[in-house]
Amino acid sequence: MPHEVALLGPDGILVPVDMRDFGPQCDRLHARAVAPFADGSIRLLGVISRLLLTAPDARGIPQFTALGYWLRPSMLQRMKHAFDDTLRPGQVATPRGTAFHLPPQNVDTLFVYSWALSVLAGNSNIVRLPSQISRTTQILCTTIAAALAETGENERHLFCTYDHGSGLNRTISALSDLRMVWGGDEKVRTVGTDPLQPDGLSLGFPDRQSFSIIAAAIYADLPVAGRDQLANQLYNDIYWFDQMGCGSPRVIFWLGEIGDLADDLFTRLVNVARSKSYKTEASVSVSKYVRMNDMVASGVAQTGTRFGPELDVVNTSLSPALAAHHHGGGFLISTPLGSLEDILPTINRQVQTITHFGLQPPQLEQFAKSLIGKGGYRIVPIGEALSFEPIWDGVDLLAHMTRRIVWR
Amino acid sequence: MNFEQLLQSPAYTVPARERRDLILQELNTLSLHHYEYCEPYRRIIDGLWGGRPGADTLNAFPYLPVALFKSQTLQSASPEQIRLTLTSSGTTGQAVSRVLVDSETSLRQQAALTNSLTHILGKKRLPMLVIDTSEVYRNPSMMSARGAGVLGMMRYGRDHAFALGPDLELDVDAIRSFLDRNGDAPFFMFGFTFLVWAKLFEASAGQTVDLSNGILIHSGGWKKMVEKAVDNEVFKSRLNERFGLSRIYNFYGMVEQLGSILLEGPHGLLYPPNYSDVIIRDPQTLMPVPHGTPGLIQVISLVAKSYPGNSLLTEDLGVIEAVDPGEDGWMGPGLRILGRLPKAELRGCSDVVASHAA
Repeated sequence: MPHEVALLGPDGILVPVDMRDFGPQCDRLHARAVAPFADGSIRLLGVISRLLLTAPDARGIPQFTALGYWLRPSMLQRMKHAFDDTLRPGQVATPRGTAFHLPPQNVDTLFVYSWALSVLAGNSNIVRLPSQISRTTQILCTTIAAALAETGENERHLFCTYDHGSGLNRTISALSDLRMVWGGDEKVRTVGTDPLQPDGLSLGFPDRQSFSIIAAAIYADLPVAGRDQLANQLYNDIYWFDQMGCGSPRVIFWLGEIGDLADDLFTRLVNVARSKSYKTEASVSVSKYVRMNDMVASGVAQTGTRFGPELDVVNTSLSPALAAHHHGGGFLISTPLGSLEDILPTINRQVQTITHFGLQPPQLEQFAKSLIGKGGYRIVPIGEALSFEPIWDGVDLLAHMTRRIVWR
Repeated sequence: MNFEQLLQSPAYTVPARERRDLILQELNTLSLHHYEYCEPYRRIIDGLWGGRPGADTLNAFPYLPVALFKSQTLQSASPEQIRLTLTSSGTTGQAVSRVLVDSETSLRQQAALTNSLTHILGKKRLPMLVIDTSEVYRNPSMMSARGAGVLGMMRYGRDHAFALGPDLELDVDAIRSFLDRNGDAPFFMFGFTFLVWAKLFEASAGQTVDLSNGILIHSGGWKKMVEKAVDNEVFKSRLNERFGLSRIYNFYGMVEQLGSILLEGPHGLLYPPNYSDVIIRDPQTLMPVPHGTPGLIQVISLVAKSYPGNSLLTEDLGVIEAVDPGEDGWMGPGLRILGRLPKAELRGCSDVVASHAA
């Protein structure tokens, strides 16, 4: 069976190319790396930001707005300064070389974050796009292609797609100095067996679980507008990627007396989902209902409520590995929590993001320290679960995407 | 009216509205029984249905998603009483349903099936041509839903012959020899829809076989038939043209409600037996929809007692197209099956591409 490889062309369309021409395409990236935060890199990402925030087909898609803001020039300058601050006198940053990005199949914007940071680091980049290009991914491709054309920066970036069976993961890995693998444990494990350049670095971002903590008493004191705002932020965290983003919460822990507060918040949440016309596929609706029955039947959950096809909630008491019960598409576990320490037995290496509401900085700092050696890498306010940041899964990405030259 | 009394009425004759009232009382009794003896059922009633086993109307009666039989052990009888475990014929690698049957439920299943089949076949047992291989029930390791189905049906015939060989190849000699002995008077045929089509009809092209005295009862998924662009109408007319076979009855049933079969009546629609009913629900809201609106099929039946299988929400889509047609005495809701609920996939960061990675 002939294997296919397609490259992103100047008009944003993936064009099939002969496998024999693909090697030279990769080779030309070699030795094209530039200085970290080079002007051209900042210009390129700035154009993408502008297009995402203004182009008719991109404007208004919330994930794109978030990405657009993240890449706006003032933000890039801030990142540059933060990066420069990490350099001590007698240190010069240099890119690793060629970076190979293997983004997940369906969190459309993630490949842009992974790529953009590597652009800032000064690397050449090969990005493997998902085999199925969704409508939103296509808009991103078109935007990137337009920005590359406008800034003339296309010499050090290659966006492609190819068959799993083509062996190209191995070929590209062999010439890469850095590899960013986003996906399930198995994918990270499998790709990890393909050797990089001898001094290459592979960063894996495998399966993660996330949850939220809400201080019940603080929620109880919120006026209606504040409650709706929190529901809105929770909506973004949960529904942007059908609750399948690594940072999307699966469990809501209520610190303190719940009373009818959970019902109150979940009713508001489902109202937000409706107001945003969130669509639940029929089979997802049914399989969530099956899951709810299953968890109650086996005694893991005690009760459950279907707030609508958009949201099923089961109520459980605290037990380890609650976040392992994942469904997606609007399925939450609601659990009371006596104190923050009570949560520690449920935390393991798989935990990524812990979003919170109503906790004070001293509590948060103490909580963060209590996670040392356990897991859980981001403790951020509700509404920021999916906000990408340069320290991801506890890894300082820009630091890993570059090397240091020391002189004295 | 209880199950036994409902079986006394001629099958498929109790009008829709009337039967709802008739079956609700025993349904409530059965629900209480499961609530007492089946812990997962009790948890579901307590946790999702307000703690009340039963309801005032059929629409409000608790239902279990049928997929629960794949993940939970659901039994309302003590383990010593369980006589056999029925399993669904799941695709390889998928979880299978497990249905636990004691003697009492087994008898109820037989009584129910007898009630349905005598409606078509008459009270006297007829010679039977099975459109399958005898291996399907002889080989105990193959004792799947198909084998159990064949074996269950064989009880309603005599002088059995098998139309297919061990590798499901057409055994024309066996068919001719059966017809030589029995072809001049009514005889009973049973097979799974796809086998009847692919292994009897398609494989017998160019041959003359007279099945005009046959009464064919068939069942099974239509998925493969849809791939061949064959619907019930085409199926019936082609079999009639080829074999002179005019008495053909499809039925819809599942291992989780063994014994209860929705049988083909007027206009190719499927009718639940007297002790049974169908509710169509919106797949999103799970609320009942009006007749004529497609949705998820909920099947209700009084048969099961050793496991809580009286009210099940399936993942099949259907629509009620007629109610109480009255033709040849057929009463009740007339269901058309529209196929499985299409699966949508939720993916995210944790995509599983390694399984196809080279």
